[in-house]
Amino acid sequence: MACAIAREVRDGETLAVGTLAPIPASGALLAHFTHAPRATVVILNHPDFWPFGNGSKEFYDYAQRGKFDLFFLSGGQIDRHGNLNLITVGDHARPKVRFPGGAGAAMLYYLPRRVIVFRAEHTPRSLVERVDTVASPGSTPPDVVRPGGPWKVVTPRCTFRFERAQARLVVEALHPGVTRAELQRETGFALEYDPQAGVTPEPSVGELEVLRTRVREAVARIYPRYAESAFQA
Amino acid sequence: MPVAGHVGSDYDRLRPEFRVIPNPFAPAERLMLVPPIRPDVALIHAIAATADGTLLLDHMEDDALLAQASRVVVASTERVVGSREALRAAGDGVLLPGIHVSAFVEAAGGARPTLVRGVYPADARHIEEYVAASADDATFKRYLDRYVHG
Repeated sequence: MACAIAREVRDGETLAVGTLAPIPASGALLAHFTHAPRATVVILNHPDFWPFGNGSKEFYDYAQRGKFDLFFLSGGQIDRHGNLNLITVGDHARPKVRFPGGAGAAMLYYLPRRVIVFRAEHTPRSLVERVDTVASPGSTPPDVVRPGGPWKVVTPRCTFRFERAQARLVVEALHPGVTRAELQRETGFALEYDPQAGVTPEPSVGELEVLRTRVREAVARIYPRYAESAFQA
Repeated sequence: MPVAGHVGSDYDRLRPEFRVIPNPFAPAERLMLVPPIRPDVALIHAIAATADGTLLLDHMEDDALLAQASRVVVASTERVVGSREALRAAGDGVLLPGIHVSAFVEAAGGARPTLVRGVYPADARHIEEYVAASADDATFKRYLDRYVHG
């Protein structure tokens, strides 16, 4: 997942990684340490990658001005239209599950030019036909100011591309070893495929080397437990 | 206060106090307004303070903003120093002038088990103990008896 994310990062752009997001942080740093040395990488609360000096307000204000090219979000539920649910599952008044809440996710899905959605669980309960509560809509009416929006959805099994015109997710690449039949069983909506859909290239020797050294070291400063377990050979 | 984004999400339905209006500067656009949060009391912890209540606060948090939104501000501080210069030298942070602060008390270690940046780190083991203890009332009472009432 980190490699699939890293390959989406463009050199010279400004990208930010929010809270509880060690996988995007790893992908952003992998890109920064390889093909995107001139990218400005912001990682929430990281001592070396947090340029702001006056709280998260300064970060949110910067984002509201549309200054980020790339951002990362997740959702307890993600649906085929790119809607994200960070609020509740079931009836909102008597929820079956209560997630942490949207925080800035309903702004951060609109203003950054491209948003990569990540989810470490690819199951019928996480990838659904229709989310129960929309914290962050995948698409909006034309009278809503929205310079950006969903770009890709990356899971441990595949990468989806968001088609803005049809407001839908299509599979762009299956990760190595995953079949279309398996992927359909693991997904809560009928899959549609890009005509050019292929297989995600395996992480290269060089990518793995950088992940297990510089990326691991930098990620350990804010995610020590993750860094201990996630970079095994 | 206007916020970007949000229009078209379920916030319209779940939070009736939020309003969607035409943007007065660009009437073809819709914009969401949210009412300001006005806490009665803010409780904040400072890295250091001077006698007039001026606080040195963590620059990664929004405590200064919280203090300015609240009617009453009660602070605790790791230590009290003698001058504005000593406050600036006490660590990396932002200054909140004492005019915003209703009352403060010196309480070294007052943020434990969470951190005070540059003074002490978060105590991850203790936070895990707290989370485990909070699973039911009996274990939580034992936690309170040991660490709060004890």
